[in-house]
Amino acid sequence: MQAFLTNTWLLWLLSGAAAILWWRGRSSQLFRYIFNRYLLALGTLLLVSGIVFSLMEVLPGDCAEKMIAYKNTQGEVITQAQIDAERARMGLDQPLPVRWASWVTDLTLKGDLGFSCAKRQSVNMALGDRFWMSLGFCIAGLLFAYLIAVPFGILSAWSLNKPWLDRKSHHTPLRRLRNSIGLVIAKLVDLQLRLISYLGLALPNFLLALSIILLYVFAGEPSPTGLFSDQWRGQPWFADSGFQWGKLNDFLGHIWLPILVIGWAATALQLQTVRALVVDESNKLYVEAARARGIDGFRLWSRYPVHHSISPLFNSVGFDFQRIFNDLPIVAVVIGLTDAAALLIEALAMTNDQELAAGILFLVALVVIGMNFITDVILAVVDPRVRNSVMHAGGH
Amino acid sequence: MIALISRWRGGGKAEARSESYYTAGQFALIRARFMRSTTGVIAGGMLALLLLMGLFAPFFSPNAPGIEGANPDYRRGAPQSIRFCDANGCSLRPFTYRYTREAPAFDLSSLAGGDLSALDAITSGDSLNASSQNRFVEQTDQRRYLQFFVSGWEYSLLKVEWLGIDIVSDRHLFGVDEGQVHLFGTDEDGKDVFSRTLHAIWVTISIALVALAVKLFASLLVGGISGYCGGRVDAVLMAITEAVRVIPPIPVYLACAVALSQLDLTPVQRYFAIAVVIGALDFAALGRRLRTHILTERNQDYVLAARLSGASSSRIIWRHLVPSFSSYIIVDTLINFPYVILAETGLSFLGLGLTEPVNSLGVLLQKAQDPDIQQNMVWQFAPVGVFVLLIMAFVFVGDALRDAADPYSERKR
Repeated sequence: MQAFLTNTWLLWLLSGAAAILWWRGRSSQLFRYIFNRYLLALGTLLLVSGIVFSLMEVLPGDCAEKMIAYKNTQGEVITQAQIDAERARMGLDQPLPVRWASWVTDLTLKGDLGFSCAKRQSVNMALGDRFWMSLGFCIAGLLFAYLIAVPFGILSAWSLNKPWLDRKSHHTPLRRLRNSIGLVIAKLVDLQLRLISYLGLALPNFLLALSIILLYVFAGEPSPTGLFSDQWRGQPWFADSGFQWGKLNDFLGHIWLPILVIGWAATALQLQTVRALVVDESNKLYVEAARARGIDGFRLWSRYPVHHSISPLFNSVGFDFQRIFNDLPIVAVVIGLTDAAALLIEALAMTNDQELAAGILFLVALVVIGMNFITDVILAVVDPRVRNSVMHAGGH
Repeated sequence: MIALISRWRGGGKAEARSESYYTAGQFALIRARFMRSTTGVIAGGMLALLLLMGLFAPFFSPNAPGIEGANPDYRRGAPQSIRFCDANGCSLRPFTYRYTREAPAFDLSSLAGGDLSALDAITSGDSLNASSQNRFVEQTDQRRYLQFFVSGWEYSLLKVEWLGIDIVSDRHLFGVDEGQVHLFGTDEDGKDVFSRTLHAIWVTISIALVALAVKLFASLLVGGISGYCGGRVDAVLMAITEAVRVIPPIPVYLACAVALSQLDLTPVQRYFAIAVVIGALDFAALGRRLRTHILTERNQDYVLAARLSGASSSRIIWRHLVPSFSSYIIVDTLINFPYVILAETGLSFLGLGLTEPVNSLGVLLQKAQDPDIQQNMVWQFAPVGVFVLLIMAFVFVGDALRDAADPYSERKR
């Protein structure tokens, strides 16, 4: 019984969640919508696993060859018959759909991502907490990008189509002067920030990371590569004297570099997105109507166009995460991180480790789909426009 | 530039809306709006200049970019500055100095005694490494004047193989009296960095063009079929699109590039294969937008009219539905330029994109990770500047064009 449960726990979890959602969905439109989204997310995951798995087929070599090559280095002479026997033992002689089906079954039953041949251990073991590390980097980079892009994207949208000087004749000269100064400052800040953030896009990530490291080298200081300096690498987080604050300090002194590099590059795209969203909204008729009612200035902008462009922005969090993770591997190689992104590069470009690469890509897709599911649900609960359309669609 | 001047003259006054404004077509309107964006016009000018220099790279570059144009007497040479004035007075014609190679300073006579520790001292000292072997001194009293429209190495200005057209020229914008001029210095083989950079621009742009054309084709195919057919086809295609969209693309490109490196491809084939891989996997976003557009448009009266006149499905899609979306497609394509170029650069950086004999910006940027270049040949970072300029120009033009293509951006101030 115990063994049976440990071998199938994930399946019970997944179907339990589905059952609860379905039960609640019998009486509630909202839960029916969530149930549908849940099924859709699972279906997409299945498709993703198929795509990732068949993509890995294009990488040269397979597990049996790697195992044999390893034995070869140990001085054994290997024949083709032995390779074929090894292949049959690992089930690699089966056609692709069969292998994929067994991979997916293992995955949904117990969350097992398979066996990495190059690392000679299971993918789950090889990954360990490295995936969480990458996730942390990406989320920190995302926060960094949002913190800069949202306020300044709104500013950029506001100052678009505004003249440099206030020439309205019904304003007093003093007010005109004040408005003009404000406009000039806003436009200059906008231009500067766009320049800087686009520079982050235009300088490829690896160059940015390289040049920062080079600056440290020229200054004669130890460059913040890796995660810890040598002094703290082997130390545990909790020593006899309690929590090691020095280690935390050292850690923070190193992780700003990858976060800055990937965050900066992402800022440009976020800034463009926020700007386009707010400009779109600000041209709609309801904003005009609000203006006709006498609302203007900060109140008008914060209540109408900005407020309404939050939900599409929030909705894209999952894809923003995907875009940031996309940049992480190359940065990880340059900085010498040891997270999942670096493992991914190693698995793809050096060791051709299909199972490990497929596992990491699948996990990233899982996070993106999970985020999309959560944002969909939150928006359906919070945003009345989405809620209305959900209820409406459910009614028919 | 004209737009800039007229902006200042007009002083922000609302321009008279003449008859032509109301009868202008969509593209004329977009162009007019684009011309009003200051940053867009400046970036557009910069972009045009870079593209021109890239397209006519052989004319603008004084040396051949390949190994045949390498200067064996000036390996690892620093940039030669162009001057108008020096201690001996000024001249209208710009000039550079003649240079001589400094003899490496080590003394072989100490070896005469058969003393091995002297040999050790020489080999472990830095007098034998490549950068001290190639040390050049400018002769500030010997000028080499720049000549314009000189004849130099031969190149084909226009080459259409299947028509048998091959216009050959040997004129270059500038050169010097004797020897070669190296504005950005030379690399370890003596190849001119300036010429390589100019030639790389067009290779990079063309790889992006091929990739974007493939992307456009894939998106049109997926979006068009999905939107027009609707129903079950739409559901299946969109499910696949959604699944492709969540997988990060760079690892996928990597996997494909690794697979490509197994095949025995010539550099040109490899170049096209990489462009096709980058383009073909990027159909998701544009394909979805197209599908949504076609779904809303296909019930319009003009589509019904076309169908009643007996037009086939493919004709309706290609002649009626897609053109109604063309401005969005064009703007989207332009906005995606920098991302495609960056993808190519990332692949090249990992050594999986284009490789050395080919001259792309990615290949040139790849050198930045070489410690020898970081310490001894900083001038090889010059392509980075050109690259940044190119991407920035694309992004700003894309921004301005996006604003201009939005039909609602005309608003009262």
